[in-house]
Amino acid sequence: MASCGSDAAAKDKNPSGSISGLTAEHVRSIAIVGGGPEAWLAAATLARLLKSSFCDVCVIDSPKRAPERLSETALPSFHRLNGLLGIDECDLIQKTRGTFRLGAQFSDWGRIGDRYFHTFGPLGAKLDAVPFQHYWFKLRQAGDDNGIERYSTATVAAKMRRFARPTSDRHSVLSFYSYGYHFHAGLLTAYLREYAQAHGARRIGRNVVDVSLRGADGFVDGLRLDDGSQLAADLYIDCSGIESTLARHVLKDAYRDNRHWLPCDRAVSILCKDATDAGPCAASTALPCGWRWQTPLQGCVDAGYAYSSAHLGDDEAASQLLAELPGAALGEPRFLRFLPGRPAKFWEKNCLVLPSSALEPLESTGLHLAQTGIARLLTLFPVSRYSPNDIEEYNRLTRMEYDRIRDFQLLHFKATERAASPFWEQCRDMAIPDTLREKIELYSQCGRIAMFEEEHFLEDSWLALFIGQNCLPQDYDPLADVLGIDEVNSALLRMRSMIRDCVETMPTHAQFIEAHCAATPSQAYA
Amino acid sequence: MRDPSNRIRDIAIVGGGTAGWMAAAILARRLIPGGVGVRVIESPEIGTIGVGEATIPPIRLFNQALGIDEDEFLRKTRGSIKLGIEFRGWQGPGHRYFHPFGAYGANPEQVSIHQEWRRLRELGDETSLEEFSLNSVAARLGRIPAASASDDPLSPVFGYAFHFDASLYAEYLRGYSQARGVVRMERKIVKVDLRGEDGFIRALHLDDGQQVEADLFIDCSGFRGLLIEQALKTGYEDWTHWLPCDRAAAVPCESAGPLTPFTRSTARSAGWQWHIPLQHRIGNGYVYSSRFISDDEAAAMLLANLDGKPMAEPRFLRFSTGRRKKFWNKNCVALGLASGFLEPLESTSIHLIQKGLTHLLNFFPDRSCAPVVAAEFNRLAINEYERIRDFIILHYKANAYGDAPLWNDCRNMAVPEELSYKIRQFTGSGRVVKYGGDLFAATSWIAVLLGQDVWPERYDRLVDQRDVSALRDHSQQLRAFIGQAAGSAPTHEEYLARRCGYAHG
Repeated sequence: MASCGSDAAAKDKNPSGSISGLTAEHVRSIAIVGGGPEAWLAAATLARLLKSSFCDVCVIDSPKRAPERLSETALPSFHRLNGLLGIDECDLIQKTRGTFRLGAQFSDWGRIGDRYFHTFGPLGAKLDAVPFQHYWFKLRQAGDDNGIERYSTATVAAKMRRFARPTSDRHSVLSFYSYGYHFHAGLLTAYLREYAQAHGARRIGRNVVDVSLRGADGFVDGLRLDDGSQLAADLYIDCSGIESTLARHVLKDAYRDNRHWLPCDRAVSILCKDATDAGPCAASTALPCGWRWQTPLQGCVDAGYAYSSAHLGDDEAASQLLAELPGAALGEPRFLRFLPGRPAKFWEKNCLVLPSSALEPLESTGLHLAQTGIARLLTLFPVSRYSPNDIEEYNRLTRMEYDRIRDFQLLHFKATERAASPFWEQCRDMAIPDTLREKIELYSQCGRIAMFEEEHFLEDSWLALFIGQNCLPQDYDPLADVLGIDEVNSALLRMRSMIRDCVETMPTHAQFIEAHCAATPSQAYA
Repeated sequence: MRDPSNRIRDIAIVGGGTAGWMAAAILARRLIPGGVGVRVIESPEIGTIGVGEATIPPIRLFNQALGIDEDEFLRKTRGSIKLGIEFRGWQGPGHRYFHPFGAYGANPEQVSIHQEWRRLRELGDETSLEEFSLNSVAARLGRIPAASASDDPLSPVFGYAFHFDASLYAEYLRGYSQARGVVRMERKIVKVDLRGEDGFIRALHLDDGQQVEADLFIDCSGFRGLLIEQALKTGYEDWTHWLPCDRAAAVPCESAGPLTPFTRSTARSAGWQWHIPLQHRIGNGYVYSSRFISDDEAAAMLLANLDGKPMAEPRFLRFSTGRRKKFWNKNCVALGLASGFLEPLESTSIHLIQKGLTHLLNFFPDRSCAPVVAAEFNRLAINEYERIRDFIILHYKANAYGDAPLWNDCRNMAVPEELSYKIRQFTGSGRVVKYGGDLFAATSWIAVLLGQDVWPERYDRLVDQRDVSALRDHSQQLRAFIGQAAGSAPTHEEYLARRCGYAHG
């Protein structure tokens, strides 16, 4: 049986020969199953941080994979990955037909005709140690109709299609935001694959035809590949998404299906020409049986429709999508399946699962969760080949992280007044988890956000969503009354004009890309 | 939408100790400018001698929020600098360890320094982990380094808190509060009047026949909980099975020897003794379990273990460790001892008052005191309180004091699940689990766990990727940097002389 570990370890051994732990019984080899972006993100990170003499990393990059997304979205947390891997942002954007993401515009969610933005950065600034939103609620009650978006540098910039990197001057409103990216998924995968391979990760371009389990304890014993070869590793990472190549054997049926909360389980998407220059911002628009995305890339747009298979057939979804494309189609529509929910355990025995591509794509947390999943594996790198303590802690943290993101996604569907469609009626009337119920109750009472452990989305994200979907609290913080209305008025006027003036100094997103990171013309679409 | 008539207009604070005046001061700062009236009702003063109070670093934020100058604060409260806590005798006679208020090593690295240290230890390197803490090294030398903002990657994370005379602090905050419009009433409360319809507190009847009505009542009346318990019957959760000490004897003594920049906690047969150095005296106390020692024996033990001459007769305190079932009940928020008792082993009493006030300001209610708002306050505050409890329990659970009934019982007791999980994780890998609401960060837990011989069976395997020679070099550089920074710093006396005109003797 070919081992995924020892050969490589011997071959690449540090010339000084003084790696200190070779005798220790630690995880010496990791096999990643699945060849999509999360698989190569995992491989790139592990290869960068684990010397190949310490731990071998290989990816079983199956040619026959379930269809994957056409674009990928990174949240601002991706900057950490860039730093860790030493990736040059411009190079990354150039080679992935990438664009910058200040956030997303949400249309028709609370009510048809509504529009709001969820961008990466604070809404306004505290005054006298009282959070900003309370002053906005106060002025609103007094009849002021300035939208909360005017107090967000990122939103003002997104609406004006402008982009620049934030400054490091903490006094400038131009430091009050962050940004993520949009990538062409295939190009991102290729980018990360190249990086991972350059850092010692091995690629095996084979399909897994069989998973053998050890009789005694149910651990994965090895994988049989389609060329008849066998592969074994100390730890397996399942990045096969909906296929669940390994996890369905090890974790069996222990998947928490959340379709009663997140009803979309299918999507159809297509790349089309970009006729509009959408700016540094994606769009998410509610539709009668789900929602539609438009993710801008350089020279093209990924347009997709996520829908509930209980409410809509595939053909009908495709024809609805194709009827409203922003530009000419560049290929055939691609059908995707997801499994909104999470595994009961993310790591069981010697198998860890990164289910990114199986998640509901709303708010684009897939790549982020792959990233935090791998970072957490490194933080809790098992102290021995099988370490139940480390696994338990990994699962404890990851469960909380997924459930908080679930609540955030769920609120988009729940906080609606849309009617006249069984899909939205079901969403509006559904029972919700206690954590989300507590959040809604506290916010409705006093405009504050209850925060739980391992929240990825912070207060300002929740506020953007609540306010954007027409939920306003009964009252604001009484401490916001310590300042008189005139003082508040003039402070908020200053904030608005400072933000507007500063954003006007930014180049347009198109100019920024042209100047710094335009894709080379030879870069293919697919 | 908002009903202006529902705004809180009057707040009554019951009790004028540290908690009462801390509450008055911050409310004066934040609320009086908005037209809210704040009254403090305190019993006519019984002359007490402050035994000294020890704090943790966030106290500095509270003073900053009040706009109090730190030098003036040190002068007015006869305060001194605290770099951490020295624990003596918890693992048997002659044993000591230090809980520093600053991190081990320098800027965060991929793998924590204590994991590298653990690896080198296995290879025979006997260096103490304390050598990697600027706070610990400086404390041992009696010196106070500058809190630097150096960009040097070796620059260690440094923090400090204070020891001070709690009655002088209360007096100082009283002056601060009264100057900002807080009304002080020196009266006894004879009756608490509840509203029939909802059980909220309506008014306090004073011994001169006056009635004090308010929208919100802050109970700082101490352990008896005049409002939260006696009037509102909130209920108490008892933790004596985890933290068995239920008495304390306290006495100040004259200063002797150099002014140590740390609190000392010494294990004794039926509890532990604190030692808190102030500019003008030393605060001492013996926290003990009445099951294992009488008051007289405890007082004798305390008096036999003072650095200088006692300055008063020992005072006795009684308590049951635990907490109110709710810290906020109806229109009453309990602070300080009124909310519960945790022994001062990790100097958290003032911090808990401060944290309660922070939460109160974050969740400041209207007159309805909506249950959903109070519930969120309680969720956060109780969680934080219990995580501090766990940290204190750890000291008892992990003791190796020797053969004494109290300590034997504690070694064998079952501890809360969150704590046993944390211990199990640390024992497995040397990693510290972080919970939401944890006040004490990894450094503090590592200090106490390792200090009390809870030894990780394995270290972080990623350390094995590094050459041993690189680990040794890193260790050497850090120690050299810290030794230099601590050795060149002023002594505690010089430091205080410069900041607040302290003159020895």
